[in-house]
Amino acid sequence: MATEFHNLQELRHSASLANKVFVQRDYSEGTTCKFQTKFPTELETRIERSLFEDTVKTLNNYYAEAEKIGGQSYLEGCLACATAYLIFLCMETRYEKVLKKIAKYIQEQNEKIYAPRGLLITDPIERGMRVIEISIYEDRGSSGSSSSSSSVSGSTTR
Amino acid sequence: MPNSTGKRFKPTKYIPVSTAATLLVGSTTLFFVFTCPWLTKVISPAVPLYNGLVFLFVLANFSMATFMDPGVYPRADEDEDKDDDFRAPLYKNVDIKGIQVRMKWCATCHFYRPPRCSHCSVCDNCVEDFDHHCPWVNNCIGRRNYRYFFLFLLSLSVHMIDVFTFSLIFVHHHRERLTALHTTVTLVVMCIAGLFFIPVMGLTGFHMVLVARGRTTNEQVTGKFRGGVNPFTRGCCGNVEYVLCSPLAPRYMLHPRKKPHIKIQPPFIRPDLSDRQITIKVSDNGTHSTIVSSKSKSSLVGLDDKEIQPPLPPKADRYNLKNQLTSSEESSLSGKTHPSTPAMYKYRPSFSTMPKVHYHNSREKIVRGDECKTSAILEEGVRGHDYRSEPNLDLPEYTNAPLHKTFQSSPLQLDADPVNSRSLSLKQAQRRSEKGHLPALQPQTVTSTPYKSVFSPNTLSNRNGSLSYDSLLNPSISPAAANECMAHRGMPSLGFHSPYLPTKMCHMREPEIQRQQVTTTYSPVMPVRAVGRQSPHQRDRDPSPVRYDNLSQTIMASIQERKEIEEREKRQMYHGRSQPHIYAQDSGVFDGPGGYGLPPSGCYPDGTRSRGPTPPAYSGSRDNLMGVGLVNYGQRTTVMRHGGSTMSRALRTSSTSLHTDHSSSNSSQGRATEGYRSPTHQPHSPVVPRSPSYSHHKLSYMNAMTETPLDWELQGTSPNIWTA
Repeated sequence: MATEFHNLQELRHSASLANKVFVQRDYSEGTTCKFQTKFPTELETRIERSLFEDTVKTLNNYYAEAEKIGGQSYLEGCLACATAYLIFLCMETRYEKVLKKIAKYIQEQNEKIYAPRGLLITDPIERGMRVIEISIYEDRGSSGSSSSSSSVSGSTTR
Repeated sequence: MPNSTGKRFKPTKYIPVSTAATLLVGSTTLFFVFTCPWLTKVISPAVPLYNGLVFLFVLANFSMATFMDPGVYPRADEDEDKDDDFRAPLYKNVDIKGIQVRMKWCATCHFYRPPRCSHCSVCDNCVEDFDHHCPWVNNCIGRRNYRYFFLFLLSLSVHMIDVFTFSLIFVHHHRERLTALHTTVTLVVMCIAGLFFIPVMGLTGFHMVLVARGRTTNEQVTGKFRGGVNPFTRGCCGNVEYVLCSPLAPRYMLHPRKKPHIKIQPPFIRPDLSDRQITIKVSDNGTHSTIVSSKSKSSLVGLDDKEIQPPLPPKADRYNLKNQLTSSEESSLSGKTHPSTPAMYKYRPSFSTMPKVHYHNSREKIVRGDECKTSAILEEGVRGHDYRSEPNLDLPEYTNAPLHKTFQSSPLQLDADPVNSRSLSLKQAQRRSEKGHLPALQPQTVTSTPYKSVFSPNTLSNRNGSLSYDSLLNPSISPAAANECMAHRGMPSLGFHSPYLPTKMCHMREPEIQRQQVTTTYSPVMPVRAVGRQSPHQRDRDPSPVRYDNLSQTIMASIQERKEIEEREKRQMYHGRSQPHIYAQDSGVFDGPGGYGLPPSGCYPDGTRSRGPTPPAYSGSRDNLMGVGLVNYGQRTTVMRHGGSTMSRALRTSSTSLHTDHSSSNSSQGRATEGYRSPTHQPHSPVVPRSPSYSHHKLSYMNAMTETPLDWELQGTSPNIWTA
């Protein structure tokens, strides 16, 4: 079967988007960025609970690190003030650095863990950091007819 | 400035920011040009340097506050809100540090606004940690630029104080030559600074307090935490630190980044499956289970659509979903069908099992019912709708609460239903009985206690679903009808009284109804209106408790039959029944707006016709009745248009609209009714609505009915039935 898919297009065609799961924010500690680690039921058949929770916990840690008010953020603020905020044109802020790390982490997780299971995690920054969107794919080739039925909720394919 | 939906260039919105910028830059420039040279000479060169730095700081912060993205949320994709959109509640509660905070659904952006987020109508965006929209910088102040705005205010205040002070020194030293250019200019600058001093200082002080308390302007002005606890505060020092020293938040409205391609290639690895997936079915099986179906509502809805004879198990799922479903969903569902009722009457005897079935069959209905009901209903509903179980009425009650009241007001109406049903000829009765059952049953469920008391004598109040009704009425009244009624969540329980028979009829018919099985037929709609209560069709049922699983087979069969009958009737109706069937309305009601499927109408027309248009009056509100009654006639046609139903249907709808009083189902019907006034029916309706004078209503209806050619079915029945 692997030989059938030579390029991304083919790959995409062989698996169709069946459903999307949204992991919501956890606001129990205020407005700091944190996502719920509750395991969505739609993923029960697709991925192990521990893997999912690890991913979310790691993401939460990244975000906590990005939003930490500490030494580095002080320095950044002072420097920005002193340069009349021109520093922002040249330098990347701490948050942006962490966001890049997060993007890399998500891609790595997708490649190693989620894609083999027919799932895809979308970076929350694209959704305004409100949700983690996990796309569920179905094997169109082998169970084409079931792809739609497998989706628990009406899936809207983009 | 006209309100525009698009992003048009509106020059007027730039006036405040232009003014502010001009004043700031202009005044300071004049200060530097005319005042500072002397100050440098006399006092120190540090003066202009200091002032220059402060001014630079002011400008920088002003620019950041003006041009920086405040934290705008991008619109949610349609995928994200498919579960939330119109079916979701307006508010969602979230717990923040032990305090409940409400998140409101943003209709523009299609998501639930995170805490502290608000939608700016000027910018037409949801902004994170929304503070306010500042016209002086022509930008929203939100999470990302609040610090710059605050620093701008601080620095501007300092700058104004400085300018004012140094200008004062200058003028003081040049007071004997006030008319000199330099002095005049300095005086002007002083005046400007002095003029804006109070507002700017006031605003600065206000924001200093907000920062210390950890609140946004929006929260302060709307009084969100007045007398309460602010869950977002971190203490005074923590709040100041948060504002001044927190890292710059990221932008959400980024240009799409190039995303790396990820190969999604089947076959996919799957974890070991557990038995989780099976649970739903098990729970479903007749035992109302708090279905934990993880399915989304959509799946359930899908189920509904797919299955014609819903197996029992799915019900449970449905119920779960229903809860989540919003009324909109309901109405859509109701619109669909209503249909099982017609078939019901055939299977009256089997209604005992049916009620549940009905509920499901008319998936739409059932769903609706569920929706409206809360989860509580769900559970109950699952169980049962045992028609006999009056308790189910409780559930729908809260949805139908208003309806109940109305019902009471028109006790006659209740009577009407039974009467109507009775009047139907046997053959029709059969058909109708099913329908009638439904309505009858529903009323039971729907109607709350008040109803029961009202109808107890009649027992026909199938609508109210009172037990008494059951006992009185023939078992023919299918529980399905009741179910249907319940399904109509939107419709006020009123409606379900027997759309097709005006209250008057009820009175008259009562004896007949009791005799006949027909009663059940009449208005499947009614039951529907009952909002999903699963009206216990107790009558049909034998004493054994209705179990969902018991019913399935029978119910399925009956539903199917009903549907067939309905279709047949529909065809007949199209042929020209012009009878205003108020009853039809009832059935229509159940179908939901415009939905009323033919089937119900098919059923009703027969029944209703015989009875005459049932004044929707019984829906509690007399006024509605009046209008409805009139409308009914008119509606008939419209109704027909909607559902393609015959006149009879229209009547039903109108009647239902009266009953329901406006629920979504009414909307469809109401539309019909309002538009149309059937010439045949004189507006008796005004009379009809008067519940106390049901007899009048009935008479009027009867008259009306007589005017219009009775339904073919009615032909068999003696018109004198109405004339009580």
